[in-house]
Amino acid sequence: MLTRRTFVQTVGVGAAAAYIGARGRENAIWSAFEPTLEAVEPGVICLSSNENPLGPGPQVLDAVKTAFGPTGALPGRYSGSARDLIDAIAKKQGVKPENVVLGCGSTQILRSATHLFTAKDKALVGTIPTYEECAGYAEMMGHPVRPVALDSNFKIDLDKFADAAKGAGLVFYCNPNNPTATYVGARATREFLQKVTRESPDTYVLVDEAYFDYVTDPDHDTHIPIAVDNPHVIVARTFSKAYGMAGLRIGYAIGHVDTIKKMAEWDAGSGTSSLNVLAMRAGIAAIQRDAAEIAAERARNKDVRDFTMKWFADRGMTPTDSQANFMFVNIGRPAKDFREACAKQGVKVARDFPPFEKTHCRISYGTMDEMKKAVTVFGDVLAKKATAA
Amino acid sequence: MPVSRRGFLRLVGTSEGPAQTAMSGAFLAARGLEAHLAEAQAQGQRARPLLPPGVDEIRISSNENPLGPGKTALDAILGKFPEAGRYPFNSTPADADLVAALAGKYKVKPENIVLGAGSQEILKSAMRAFVSPTRSLVTALPTFENCTGFANKYKLPLTEVKVDSAMRLDVDGMIAAASKGGAGLVFFNNPNNPTATVHGATTVADMVERIRKASPDTVILIDEAYHDYVTDPSYQTAVPLALSIPNVFVARTFSKAYGMAGMRIGYAIGMADTLKPLATLKMPYNVSVFGAAAAIASLGDPQHIDDERARNTDVRAFTVKALQDMGTRPADSQGNFVFVDIGRPAKEFREACAKQGVMVGRDFPPFEKTHCRISIGTMDEMKKATEVFRSVLKATTTTASAGKDGR
Repeated sequence: MLTRRTFVQTVGVGAAAAYIGARGRENAIWSAFEPTLEAVEPGVICLSSNENPLGPGPQVLDAVKTAFGPTGALPGRYSGSARDLIDAIAKKQGVKPENVVLGCGSTQILRSATHLFTAKDKALVGTIPTYEECAGYAEMMGHPVRPVALDSNFKIDLDKFADAAKGAGLVFYCNPNNPTATYVGARATREFLQKVTRESPDTYVLVDEAYFDYVTDPDHDTHIPIAVDNPHVIVARTFSKAYGMAGLRIGYAIGHVDTIKKMAEWDAGSGTSSLNVLAMRAGIAAIQRDAAEIAAERARNKDVRDFTMKWFADRGMTPTDSQANFMFVNIGRPAKDFREACAKQGVKVARDFPPFEKTHCRISYGTMDEMKKAVTVFGDVLAKKATAA
Repeated sequence: MPVSRRGFLRLVGTSEGPAQTAMSGAFLAARGLEAHLAEAQAQGQRARPLLPPGVDEIRISSNENPLGPGKTALDAILGKFPEAGRYPFNSTPADADLVAALAGKYKVKPENIVLGAGSQEILKSAMRAFVSPTRSLVTALPTFENCTGFANKYKLPLTEVKVDSAMRLDVDGMIAAASKGGAGLVFFNNPNNPTATVHGATTVADMVERIRKASPDTVILIDEAYHDYVTDPSYQTAVPLALSIPNVFVARTFSKAYGMAGMRIGYAIGMADTLKPLATLKMPYNVSVFGAAAAIASLGDPQHIDDERARNTDVRAFTVKALQDMGTRPADSQGNFVFVDIGRPAKEFREACAKQGVMVGRDFPPFEKTHCRISIGTMDEMKKATEVFRSVLKATTTTASAGKDGR
């Protein structure tokens, strides 16, 4: 069987190779070649996948139960719920249903956009590192991938990014950026979107707002209104993060009617045929949750984030400015060593993110209780001398 | 060259290099038909006048299991509520555990299985992987339309071989079409939706051998969605063929006897090399935490499937006899639906039944003027439904089928 490591060796070296090597377990190609990924053992603190440790909450799970129907027969039916979910999302986001397309997680959205808007002569542009789905899929199709380095603060370098966007097919703009957790303010992002449209009018920009609900930067706003107006801007959202529904597989895109129509046609009315009925019912309940509940989840995450970032900062390890439910921190040793040592003590942290795999680790925030336990493990592991990098 | 690039070249079936413009056609997707239709139906229901008080809708239009997934599966889903927030690769069981459970069921390796968000993803990936402007689809008419719809939508070459007079797949015709050269994919639905007929194991094995001999590069997809409902002793699954012969694979689904159409879980099974393009195209974590848990639980309860087959067989026999008694002519059904010659347009019949709360199948050209597909509900539902059929068929028909009255 082809393993991740042999694959990367096959690919060779260079920037593109680093990009490919950055793919992790959340990527299609690896899931295809590594069908035996292990589940998290019970009792293990899972800080590896930027999930909400509290899950979706009782109203959403009640909606799942309701979706069983009075006799438990409804999961046996093909569902007609997609339109109801689209309507609920449209209402919540203040757009028309025609501006919304569903995906089996935002993964399907990212794939559809990459498929439609890149080509052999139209590159995918992404920061390095960033979430790997678009680059991975572009590479699989044989479409060029143009990686752009982050700035010294691990933030998107907007000038370089806009330059790289010229003539490109699709810019993947992940904000906050996974894995670095940094955030570009709303004003700067708006200016960036205007600039790309002005300088490269045929280039699409996919603004991935997966971690939108966790941002506490005061200059924060969604770019949905721009996407609705500008056919070349698309916003991706997911229920997998603050809404705590990663297991249900549901995401969506919002954009201009024409752009959304293209995406829906390309991938089978997207969600309609790929989303399960429990997810769709859960999504309807979730999108109707009170804004105060999501604000409470943001506040809970911020407390845990402050605690965890301070713990590292107090020990001379400065994390990037985290605006999400995870951090990217220089631990002065290979992520692999740290990860394996932590795993032995029941704490699971994230995969490698080249080109920073020799120094940095991504750590998701669990509950406060989990993080208090986790930092004792981190302390123990980091107290030992780092092996030569 | 990275492996995935090489895979890509295989996918588009060209030696000219990657990503030529023609590939967009081969890569484009088909709609998940039943799900799409269910959605359209749900929207239609909003506009439709309510049924009289006391009349419940009987939905026998989409070949679903009317009882759903059963208690074991529902309990498994409830048990996973604490893990709704985990990705399917982090949950216990994980999606990989579903692959392992399927591998255990068939005594194969995990790489012999590829999961799909319903078998529709498998069919869609097969079209993307094996059909291109230079490699045609060979399929039946009528048959499950996902692959056909994909080919039509993206103007890919297509040969549709009409079923024989007994509504069975025309095996010789399909072999001939596949042997002409240039066929990328044969879609062989056994039992065939919508006709519900089946071919025996010997016929299928012979077909595979003959196509392989004439056109070894042609991939043969045997869709066994209704496998668990077959009672004909001559039938056997083609899984052993798929595991021993290159370029042959079987599609299966949890949407039918397993009662999980709403959960979106299907899979392909075959030799690892055959499935590699499907594995490459597979959407990441396409099966939910709940779906993986429910499917694994169901696989551990084979008695439930035996019971469901027995239940369906009883209700099917009742329905077939009732249809025969009212003068219509059902084809031999080996599924959870029947394809019946009602001697009038399906549309008229469907609309008349809908007014009485009974929803039957869509049009299936070229038989839409004479035949209707009716799914098998519960015995109680079918007793009510057959009464509705009787009253509708008694009513005077319009000119389109007036000449066929009195049969």
